[in-house]
Amino acid sequence: MITVAVSGINAMDNPGPGVGIIRALKESALNVRTIGLAFDSMEPGIYLDHLIDKSYIMPYPSGEVKSFINRIQDIHSREKLDVIISTLDAELPVYMDIELTLRQWGIQMLIPSKKMFNLRNKTKLEDISKAINILTPEYISCSSYGDLVKATQTIGFPCMIKGPFYEAFKANSMGEADNYFNKLTEKWGFPIIAQKFVKGQEYDVVGCGDGNGNSMGLFAIKKMTTTSLGKVWNAVSIKNERLLETCHQLLKHLSWRGGFELEVLIDEHSDDIYLLEINPRFPAWVYMSSACGINLPERMVRFLLDMPYETHSNYDSGKIMIRYTNEILKDISDFEQISSYGELENNERLP
Amino acid sequence: MNIEHLATLAISDSGFIFDPCTGDTYNTNEIGLKIIQWIKKGKDFNELMDLLIAHYDVTEEELEADLLDFIQTLKYYHMV
Repeated sequence: MITVAVSGINAMDNPGPGVGIIRALKESALNVRTIGLAFDSMEPGIYLDHLIDKSYIMPYPSGEVKSFINRIQDIHSREKLDVIISTLDAELPVYMDIELTLRQWGIQMLIPSKKMFNLRNKTKLEDISKAINILTPEYISCSSYGDLVKATQTIGFPCMIKGPFYEAFKANSMGEADNYFNKLTEKWGFPIIAQKFVKGQEYDVVGCGDGNGNSMGLFAIKKMTTTSLGKVWNAVSIKNERLLETCHQLLKHLSWRGGFELEVLIDEHSDDIYLLEINPRFPAWVYMSSACGINLPERMVRFLLDMPYETHSNYDSGKIMIRYTNEILKDISDFEQISSYGELENNERLP
Repeated sequence: MNIEHLATLAISDSGFIFDPCTGDTYNTNEIGLKIIQWIKKGKDFNELMDLLIAHYDVTEEELEADLLDFIQTLKYYHMV
Protein backbone atom coordinates (compact mmCIF):
# COMPACT_ATOMS: atom_id res chain seq x y z
CA MET A 1 0.00 0.00 0.00
CA ILE A 2 1.31 3.41 -1.05
CA THR A 3 0.11 6.44 0.89
CA VAL A 4 -0.19 9.65 -1.08
CA ALA A 5 -1.28 12.99 0.38
CA VAL A 6 -2.73 15.54 -2.04
CA SER A 7 -3.68 19.18 -1.49
CA GLY A 8 -6.20 21.29 -3.42
CA ILE A 9 -9.27 19.12 -2.77
CA ASN A 10 -11.58 22.13 -3.07
CA ALA A 11 -13.66 20.78 -5.98
CA MET A 12 -15.74 23.93 -6.31
CA ASP A 13 -16.58 26.35 -9.14
CA ASN A 14 -12.89 27.33 -9.22
CA PRO A 15 -11.65 23.81 -8.53
CA GLY A 16 -8.29 22.77 -7.19
CA PRO A 17 -6.54 19.86 -8.94
CA GLY A 18 -6.53 17.54 -5.90
CA VAL A 19 -9.71 15.56 -6.51
CA GLY A 20 -8.77 14.92 -10.16
CA ILE A 21 -5.30 13.74 -9.12
CA ILE A 22 -6.73 11.42 -6.48
CA ARG A 23 -9.26 10.00 -8.93
CA ALA A 24 -6.43 9.32 -11.38
CA LEU A 25 -4.46 7.54 -8.64
CA LYS A 26 -7.44 5.49 -7.48
CA GLU A 27 -8.11 4.34 -11.05
CA SER A 28 -4.45 3.44 -11.64
CA ALA A 29 -2.76 0.08 -11.15
CA LEU A 30 -1.30 1.34 -7.86
CA ASN A 31 -2.69 0.28 -4.49
CA VAL A 32 -3.08 3.74 -2.99
CA ARG A 33 -4.35 5.11 0.29
CA THR A 34 -5.28 8.74 -0.41
CA ILE A 35 -4.95 11.52 2.13
CA GLY A 36 -6.63 14.86 1.41
CA LEU A 37 -4.96 17.99 2.74
CA ALA A 38 -7.59 20.73 3.11
CA PHE A 39 -7.59 24.28 4.43
CA ASP A 40 -11.30 24.51 5.13
CA SER A 41 -13.94 22.15 6.55
CA MET A 42 -16.21 22.71 3.56
CA GLU A 43 -13.77 21.59 0.86
CA PRO A 44 -15.88 18.97 -0.96
CA GLY A 45 -13.04 16.47 -1.38
CA ILE A 46 -13.11 15.81 2.37
CA TYR A 47 -16.52 14.16 2.02
CA LEU A 48 -15.85 12.11 -1.14
CA ASP A 49 -15.37 8.76 0.58
CA HIS A 50 -15.07 6.82 -2.70
CA LEU A 51 -11.90 8.80 -3.50
CA ILE A 52 -10.35 10.16 -0.33
CA ASP A 53 -9.62 7.78 2.52
CA LYS A 54 -8.80 10.38 5.12
CA SER A 55 -8.63 14.17 5.20
CA TYR A 56 -6.76 16.57 7.46
CA ILE A 57 -7.09 20.31 7.91
CA MET A 58 -3.79 22.09 7.28
CA PRO A 59 -2.66 25.49 8.54
CA TYR A 60 -2.58 28.15 5.84
CA PRO A 61 0.78 28.31 4.02
CA SER A 62 0.87 32.08 4.52
CA GLY A 63 1.28 31.48 8.28
CA GLU A 64 4.30 30.15 10.15
CA VAL A 65 6.32 27.49 8.32
CA LYS A 66 6.89 25.77 11.67
CA SER A 67 3.21 25.08 12.23
CA PHE A 68 2.87 23.86 8.62
CA ILE A 69 5.76 21.42 8.99
CA ASN A 70 4.58 20.32 12.44
CA ARG A 71 1.21 19.43 10.99
CA ILE A 72 2.80 17.35 8.23
CA GLN A 73 4.96 15.61 10.84
CA ASP A 74 1.86 14.84 12.87
CA ILE A 75 0.04 13.43 9.83
CA HIS A 76 3.14 11.47 8.77
CA SER A 77 3.47 9.89 12.23
CA ARG A 78 0.00 8.42 11.78
CA GLU A 79 -0.18 7.81 8.04
CA LYS A 80 3.43 7.02 7.04
CA LEU A 81 3.21 9.15 3.92
CA ASP A 82 5.19 8.02 0.88
CA VAL A 83 4.43 10.96 -1.41
CA ILE A 84 2.91 14.45 -1.17
CA ILE A 85 1.50 16.02 -4.34
CA SER A 86 1.22 19.76 -3.88
CA THR A 87 -1.27 21.43 -6.21
CA LEU A 88 -1.54 25.03 -5.09
CA ASP A 89 0.70 27.88 -6.28
CA ALA A 90 0.50 29.59 -2.90
CA GLU A 91 1.82 26.60 -0.92
CA LEU A 92 4.55 25.49 -3.34
CA PRO A 93 7.20 27.90 -2.01
CA VAL A 94 6.69 26.45 1.47
CA TYR A 95 7.13 22.90 0.20
CA MET A 96 10.27 24.02 -1.67
CA ASP A 97 11.69 25.19 1.65
CA ILE A 98 10.93 21.95 3.48
CA GLU A 99 11.36 19.38 0.70
CA LEU A 100 14.73 18.20 2.00
CA THR A 101 13.37 17.68 5.51
CA LEU A 102 10.42 15.74 4.11
CA ARG A 103 12.78 13.56 2.09
CA GLN A 104 14.75 12.79 5.24
CA TRP A 105 11.50 11.63 6.80
CA GLY A 106 10.85 9.37 3.79
CA ILE A 107 8.29 11.61 2.06
CA GLN A 108 8.98 12.19 -1.64
CA MET A 109 7.86 15.18 -3.71
CA LEU A 110 8.38 16.13 -7.36
CA ILE A 111 8.31 19.91 -7.36
CA PRO A 112 10.31 22.64 -9.11
CA SER A 113 13.22 24.40 -7.46
CA LYS A 114 12.77 28.03 -6.42
CA LYS A 115 14.82 29.09 -9.45
CA MET A 116 12.54 27.17 -11.86
CA PHE A 117 9.46 28.45 -10.03
CA ASN A 118 10.60 32.07 -10.37
CA LEU A 119 11.62 31.69 -14.02
CA ARG A 120 8.04 30.81 -15.02
CA ASN A 121 6.65 33.80 -13.14
CA LYS A 122 4.06 35.76 -15.14
CA THR A 123 6.40 38.74 -15.24
CA LYS A 124 9.21 36.76 -16.90
CA LEU A 125 7.39 35.02 -19.72
CA GLU A 126 9.18 36.99 -22.44
CA ASP A 127 12.54 35.41 -21.57
CA ILE A 128 11.12 31.89 -21.65
CA SER A 129 9.13 32.39 -24.84
CA LYS A 130 12.29 33.62 -26.60
CA ALA A 131 14.24 30.63 -25.35
CA ILE A 132 11.70 28.14 -26.66
CA ASN A 133 11.03 29.96 -29.95
CA ILE A 134 7.47 31.10 -29.45
CA LEU A 135 5.95 34.53 -28.80
CA THR A 136 4.31 36.14 -25.82
CA PRO A 137 1.82 39.00 -26.02
CA GLU A 138 3.46 42.30 -25.04
CA TYR A 139 2.88 42.85 -21.32
CA ILE A 140 3.81 45.31 -18.61
CA SER A 141 3.92 44.54 -14.91
CA CYS A 142 2.10 47.19 -12.85
CA SER A 143 2.77 47.90 -9.18
CA SER A 144 0.69 51.06 -8.96
CA TYR A 145 -2.24 52.81 -10.61
CA GLY A 146 0.25 55.13 -12.34
CA ASP A 147 1.95 52.08 -13.86
CA LEU A 148 -1.41 50.88 -15.18
CA VAL A 149 -2.13 54.20 -16.90
CA LYS A 150 1.31 54.20 -18.55
CA ALA A 151 1.01 50.52 -19.49
CA THR A 152 -2.37 50.92 -21.19
CA GLN A 153 -1.05 53.96 -23.10
CA THR A 154 1.79 51.80 -24.39
CA ILE A 155 -0.19 48.62 -25.10
CA GLY A 156 -3.49 50.21 -26.17
CA PHE A 157 -7.01 48.75 -26.04
CA PRO A 158 -8.36 46.15 -25.91
CA CYS A 159 -5.92 44.65 -23.44
CA MET A 160 -5.97 41.94 -20.79
CA ILE A 161 -5.76 42.88 -17.10
CA LYS A 162 -4.42 39.89 -15.13
CA GLY A 163 -3.96 39.13 -11.45
CA PRO A 164 -0.67 37.81 -10.05
CA PHE A 165 -2.08 34.34 -9.40
CA TYR A 166 -5.53 34.02 -10.91
CA GLU A 167 -8.15 35.76 -13.05
CA ALA A 168 -7.89 37.81 -16.21
CA PHE A 169 -10.29 40.28 -17.80
CA LYS A 170 -10.47 41.89 -21.24
CA ALA A 171 -10.58 45.69 -20.89
CA ASN A 172 -11.87 47.78 -23.79
CA SER A 173 -11.34 51.18 -22.17
CA MET A 174 -9.46 52.91 -19.36
CA GLY A 175 -12.64 52.83 -17.27
CA GLU A 176 -12.83 49.03 -17.56
CA ALA A 177 -9.09 48.63 -16.95
CA ASP A 178 -9.41 50.80 -13.83
CA ASN A 179 -12.30 48.68 -12.56
CA TYR A 180 -10.53 45.34 -13.14
CA PHE A 181 -7.28 46.71 -11.67
CA ASN A 182 -9.06 47.58 -8.39
CA LYS A 183 -10.97 44.31 -8.34
CA LEU A 184 -7.81 42.23 -8.83
CA THR A 185 -5.55 44.13 -6.41
CA GLU A 186 -8.21 43.90 -3.71
CA LYS A 187 -8.43 40.13 -4.19
CA TRP A 188 -4.89 39.05 -5.12
CA GLY A 189 -2.56 42.00 -4.48
CA PHE A 190 0.26 43.15 -6.78
CA PRO A 191 1.68 43.01 -9.41
CA ILE A 192 -1.10 43.37 -11.95
CA ILE A 193 -0.21 42.49 -15.54
CA ALA A 194 -1.47 44.60 -18.44
CA GLN A 195 -1.14 42.45 -21.57
CA LYS A 196 -1.82 43.08 -25.25
CA PHE A 197 -4.96 41.32 -26.47
CA VAL A 198 -4.32 38.73 -29.18
CA LYS A 199 -7.33 37.24 -30.97
CA GLY A 200 -7.15 33.48 -31.20
CA GLN A 201 -7.98 30.19 -29.55
CA GLU A 202 -6.64 29.02 -26.19
CA TYR A 203 -4.96 25.67 -25.74
CA ASP A 204 -3.53 23.95 -22.68
CA VAL A 205 -0.96 21.18 -22.31
CA VAL A 206 -0.45 19.20 -19.11
CA GLY A 207 2.83 17.40 -18.53
CA CYS A 208 5.38 16.30 -16.01
CA GLY A 209 9.14 16.75 -16.05
CA ASP A 210 11.70 14.54 -14.33
CA GLY A 211 14.10 17.39 -13.47
CA ASN A 212 16.61 16.37 -16.14
CA GLY A 213 14.81 17.86 -19.12
CA ASN A 214 12.84 14.70 -19.92
CA SER A 215 9.10 14.41 -20.36
CA MET A 216 7.04 11.86 -18.44
CA GLY A 217 4.14 12.37 -20.90
CA LEU A 218 2.18 15.23 -22.46
CA PHE A 219 -1.51 15.77 -23.16
CA ALA A 220 -3.06 18.72 -25.03
CA ILE A 221 -6.57 20.17 -25.09
CA LYS A 222 -8.52 22.97 -26.66
CA LYS A 223 -10.74 24.83 -24.20
CA MET A 224 -14.34 24.54 -25.42
CA THR A 225 -16.01 26.49 -22.64
CA THR A 226 -14.60 28.29 -19.61
CA THR A 227 -15.97 29.68 -16.36
CA SER A 228 -16.11 33.39 -15.59
CA LEU A 229 -12.63 32.98 -14.07
CA GLY A 230 -11.31 31.54 -17.33
CA LYS A 231 -11.09 28.00 -15.95
CA VAL A 232 -11.69 25.07 -18.30
CA TRP A 233 -15.21 23.67 -18.02
CA ASN A 234 -15.41 21.62 -21.23
CA ALA A 235 -12.47 20.60 -23.38
CA VAL A 236 -11.52 18.41 -26.34
CA SER A 237 -8.27 16.46 -26.65
CA ILE A 238 -6.09 17.44 -29.61
CA LYS A 239 -2.85 16.28 -31.20
CA ASN A 240 -0.85 19.34 -32.19
CA GLU A 241 2.79 18.51 -32.83
CA ARG A 242 3.92 22.17 -32.63
CA LEU A 243 2.44 22.47 -29.14
CA LEU A 244 3.98 19.23 -27.94
CA GLU A 245 7.37 20.24 -29.38
CA THR A 246 7.09 23.56 -27.53
CA CYS A 247 6.58 21.65 -24.29
CA HIS A 248 9.61 19.45 -24.94
CA GLN A 249 11.70 22.58 -25.47
CA LEU A 250 10.31 24.11 -22.28
CA LEU A 251 11.14 21.00 -20.25
CA LYS A 252 14.67 21.00 -21.60
CA HIS A 253 15.19 24.74 -21.15
CA LEU A 254 14.06 24.76 -17.51
CA SER A 255 14.96 21.14 -16.64
CA TRP A 256 11.48 21.25 -15.20
CA ARG A 257 10.78 19.06 -12.18
CA GLY A 258 7.16 18.15 -11.48
CA GLY A 259 3.74 18.65 -12.99
CA PHE A 260 2.97 21.70 -15.08
CA GLU A 261 0.33 23.25 -17.30
CA LEU A 262 1.30 25.30 -20.34
CA GLU A 263 -1.35 27.79 -21.45
CA VAL A 264 -0.98 29.19 -24.96
CA LEU A 265 -2.98 31.05 -27.54
CA ILE A 266 -2.71 30.47 -31.29
CA ASP A 267 -3.25 33.65 -33.31
CA GLU A 268 -6.19 33.06 -35.63
CA HIS A 269 -4.55 35.02 -38.48
CA SER A 270 -0.82 34.30 -38.26
CA ASP A 271 -1.02 30.85 -36.60
CA ASP A 272 1.76 32.01 -34.23
CA ILE A 273 1.88 30.42 -30.77
CA TYR A 274 1.75 32.89 -27.88
CA LEU A 275 2.75 31.81 -24.39
CA LEU A 276 0.17 32.97 -21.83
CA GLU A 277 1.14 31.19 -18.64
CA ILE A 278 3.07 28.28 -17.14
CA ASN A 279 1.41 26.87 -14.05
CA PRO A 280 3.88 25.01 -11.80
CA ARG A 281 1.60 22.08 -10.93
CA PHE A 282 -1.06 19.83 -12.44
CA PRO A 283 -4.22 21.67 -13.53
CA ALA A 284 -7.73 20.91 -12.25
CA TRP A 285 -8.57 19.08 -15.50
CA VAL A 286 -5.66 16.62 -15.09
CA TYR A 287 -8.08 13.69 -14.70
CA MET A 288 -8.93 14.06 -18.40
CA SER A 289 -5.37 13.11 -19.35
CA SER A 290 -5.46 9.98 -17.22
CA ALA A 291 -8.87 9.01 -18.59
CA CYS A 292 -7.28 9.22 -22.05
CA GLY A 293 -4.38 6.94 -21.07
CA ILE A 294 -1.76 9.45 -19.90
CA ASN A 295 -1.96 9.00 -16.13
CA LEU A 296 0.53 11.65 -15.03
CA PRO A 297 -0.19 11.47 -11.26
CA GLU A 298 0.46 7.71 -11.39
CA ARG A 299 3.66 8.24 -13.40
CA MET A 300 4.82 10.87 -10.91
CA VAL A 301 4.28 8.54 -7.94
CA ARG A 302 6.02 5.65 -9.70
CA PHE A 303 8.96 7.90 -10.62
CA LEU A 304 9.32 9.07 -7.01
CA LEU A 305 9.18 5.54 -5.63
CA ASP A 306 11.62 4.11 -8.21
CA MET A 307 8.93 2.02 -9.85
CA PRO A 308 8.79 1.55 -13.65
CA TYR A 309 6.66 4.17 -15.37
CA GLU A 310 5.53 5.02 -18.91
CA THR A 311 6.63 8.18 -20.71
CA HIS A 312 4.62 7.96 -23.94
CA SER A 313 2.13 10.58 -25.08
CA ASN A 314 -0.03 8.29 -27.19
CA TYR A 315 -3.66 9.26 -26.78
CA ASP A 316 -6.72 9.79 -28.98
CA SER A 317 -7.73 13.24 -30.12
CA GLY A 318 -11.45 14.05 -30.21
CA LYS A 319 -12.28 12.99 -26.63
CA ILE A 320 -14.35 15.60 -24.83
CA MET A 321 -14.43 16.34 -21.13
CA ILE A 322 -17.81 17.33 -19.71
CA ARG A 323 -17.52 18.83 -16.24
CA TYR A 324 -20.72 18.90 -14.21
CA THR A 325 -21.97 19.80 -10.77
CA ASN A 326 -23.28 17.22 -8.34
CA GLU A 327 -24.50 16.90 -4.76
CA ILE A 328 -23.86 14.35 -2.03
CA LEU A 329 -25.48 13.95 1.37
CA LYS A 330 -23.40 13.38 4.50
CA ASP A 331 -24.22 13.32 8.20
CA ILE A 332 -23.53 16.42 10.28
CA SER A 333 -21.20 14.24 12.40
CA ASP A 334 -18.73 14.23 9.50
CA PHE A 335 -18.66 18.00 9.55
CA GLU A 336 -18.28 17.87 13.33
CA GLN A 337 -15.26 15.55 12.97
CA ILE A 338 -13.43 17.69 10.46
CA SER A 339 -14.30 21.05 12.00
CA SER A 340 -13.74 20.02 15.65
CA TYR A 341 -10.84 17.58 15.32
CA GLY A 342 -9.30 18.68 12.01
CA GLU A 343 -9.55 15.24 10.45
CA LEU A 344 -12.11 12.89 8.95
CA GLU A 345 -11.62 9.17 8.34
CA ASN A 346 -13.70 7.94 5.42
CA ASN A 347 -12.14 4.50 5.07
CA GLU A 348 -10.12 2.78 7.78
CA ARG A 349 -6.62 1.65 6.75
CA LEU A 350 -6.72 -2.07 6.08
CA PRO A 351 -4.17 -4.20 7.94
CA MET B 1 -5.56 22.98 -53.90
CA ASN B 2 -3.46 21.91 -50.97
CA ILE B 3 -5.16 18.82 -49.55
CA GLU B 4 -2.49 17.94 -46.98
CA HIS B 5 -4.42 19.39 -44.04
CA LEU B 6 -7.79 18.24 -45.39
CA ALA B 7 -6.50 14.67 -45.27
CA THR B 8 -5.93 14.96 -41.50
CA LEU B 9 -9.53 15.95 -40.72
CA ALA B 10 -11.99 13.47 -39.24
CA ILE B 11 -15.13 13.75 -41.40
CA SER B 12 -18.26 11.75 -40.57
CA ASP B 13 -21.00 10.69 -43.00
CA SER B 14 -23.32 13.28 -41.45
CA GLY B 15 -21.01 16.13 -42.49
CA PHE B 16 -19.54 16.74 -39.03
CA ILE B 17 -15.85 17.69 -39.32
CA PHE B 18 -13.29 17.57 -36.48
CA ASP B 19 -9.80 19.00 -36.82
CA PRO B 20 -7.60 16.93 -34.43
CA CYS B 21 -4.82 19.52 -34.60
CA THR B 22 -6.87 22.56 -33.51
CA GLY B 23 -9.92 20.96 -31.90
CA ASP B 24 -12.18 22.99 -34.19
CA THR B 25 -15.46 21.47 -35.36
CA TYR B 26 -17.61 22.29 -38.38
CA ASN B 27 -20.80 21.11 -40.01
CA THR B 28 -21.49 20.89 -43.69
CA ASN B 29 -24.42 19.56 -45.72
CA GLU B 30 -24.60 16.66 -48.15
CA ILE B 31 -23.29 18.71 -51.09
CA GLY B 32 -20.45 20.23 -49.05
CA LEU B 33 -19.48 16.76 -47.91
CA LYS B 34 -19.36 15.50 -51.50
CA ILE B 35 -17.21 18.45 -52.61
CA ILE B 36 -14.77 17.83 -49.73
CA GLN B 37 -14.56 14.14 -50.59
CA TRP B 38 -13.83 14.98 -54.25
CA ILE B 39 -11.18 17.52 -53.24
CA LYS B 40 -9.57 14.85 -51.05
CA LYS B 41 -9.44 12.63 -54.14
CA GLY B 42 -7.48 15.36 -55.94
CA LYS B 43 -10.19 16.90 -58.14
CA ASP B 44 -9.42 20.44 -59.31
CA PHE B 45 -11.89 23.32 -59.71
CA ASN B 46 -12.96 22.45 -63.27
CA GLU B 47 -13.43 18.80 -62.41
CA LEU B 48 -15.55 19.78 -59.42
CA MET B 49 -17.71 21.95 -61.70
CA ASP B 50 -18.25 19.03 -64.09
CA LEU B 51 -19.09 16.60 -61.30
CA LEU B 52 -21.57 18.96 -59.65
CA ILE B 53 -23.32 19.81 -62.94
CA ALA B 54 -23.62 16.08 -63.61
CA HIS B 55 -25.14 15.41 -60.16
CA TYR B 56 -27.32 18.46 -59.53
CA ASP B 57 -29.79 20.62 -61.42
CA VAL B 58 -27.79 23.84 -61.53
CA THR B 59 -26.54 26.28 -64.16
CA GLU B 60 -22.82 26.80 -64.69
CA GLU B 61 -23.07 30.51 -63.72
CA GLU B 62 -24.87 29.79 -60.43
CA LEU B 63 -22.56 26.93 -59.57
CA GLU B 64 -19.33 28.80 -60.25
CA ALA B 65 -20.18 31.54 -57.76
CA ASP B 66 -21.34 29.08 -55.11
CA LEU B 67 -18.35 26.77 -55.55
CA LEU B 68 -15.89 29.65 -55.36
CA ASP B 69 -17.65 30.81 -52.21
CA PHE B 70 -17.47 27.34 -50.65
CA ILE B 71 -13.78 26.91 -51.48
CA GLN B 72 -13.11 30.36 -50.04
CA THR B 73 -14.81 29.19 -46.82
CA LEU B 74 -12.58 26.10 -46.72
CA LYS B 75 -9.53 28.34 -47.18
CA TYR B 76 -10.71 30.71 -44.44
CA TYR B 77 -10.78 27.77 -42.02
CA HIS B 78 -7.34 26.60 -43.22
CA MET B 79 -8.79 23.33 -44.56
CA VAL B 80 -7.30 23.72 -48.05
